[in-house]
Amino acid sequence: MENLALLWGIIGPGVAGAVFGAGWWFWVDAVVCSSVQVSFLHYLPGIFASLAALMFNAVNKDEIGYDYYSPYGDDSEWRVKLWLFVAYVVSFVCLAGSVGMLVQDALTDKGPSVWTGVAGVLQCVLVLISGLIYWTCHSED
Amino acid sequence: MARSMRTCLHSGRLALLAILVSGGIVLQILACALYNNWWPMLTVLMYLILPMPLIFFLGSNSPSMMSNDGDTWVNFTKFLTGASIVGSIAIPSILKHAGVIGWGALTMELSSFLVFGVAILWLIQMNSEDEYSSAF
Repeated sequence: MENLALLWGIIGPGVAGAVFGAGWWFWVDAVVCSSVQVSFLHYLPGIFASLAALMFNAVNKDEIGYDYYSPYGDDSEWRVKLWLFVAYVVSFVCLAGSVGMLVQDALTDKGPSVWTGVAGVLQCVLVLISGLIYWTCHSED
Repeated sequence: MARSMRTCLHSGRLALLAILVSGGIVLQILACALYNNWWPMLTVLMYLILPMPLIFFLGSNSPSMMSNDGDTWVNFTKFLTGASIVGSIAIPSILKHAGVIGWGALTMELSSFLVFGVAILWLIQMNSEDEYSSAF
């Protein structure tokens, strides 16, 4: 089991990068192969999902421990928790938004095709998973 | 094994590695030139990002890449490598899906990527072997 943890620490960031890339490349494929112009609204879930993944990786894991003394005073734990909370809210809103767009694309014929909607959901999910994977890597020390 | 024999083998392996890399480049260019369609050259962008952790960290103390150090920059370059690996598979596939290139160009691109991958893995393995042998 120990070996697995070591191996994960070595290749983990690479796997996170691969998943992140896969998410965005699916979206690029959908935009390129779409027969209609994909409006900017459809790009938003992916962009905000990437932002959310960046946000919850920017947290220094030591800061949410119980005996952390910060230069801002004793009760500054709430800042980190607020940051994480906003990151989670943004990521869930993105997921919901991309699923909503998929349903909308599936129902009408005039807008983007179903593949655009599916690629949007895939992009959101894969980007968030990649953020999670990267998070597990640097907390292995 | 005698010392001269070992250096001969070592330079032989380096030569083979160079042949592999140039083979990969030839495949990449052939994929464009044979079909007179220069779109697949976009993949070269990904090939530039791919060896970044090697370039930055293989020269300095090697253990920093193969160990669990968790230095932020090492992690970030590994992230970029992962993304560029997926990108170099994804760009030809997207071009094929959009109908810009054909099946032949796609297989040539993917085989060029495989050749580069084998070359880089072999380079890493050769480097870690060098560490062990020079420690004696």
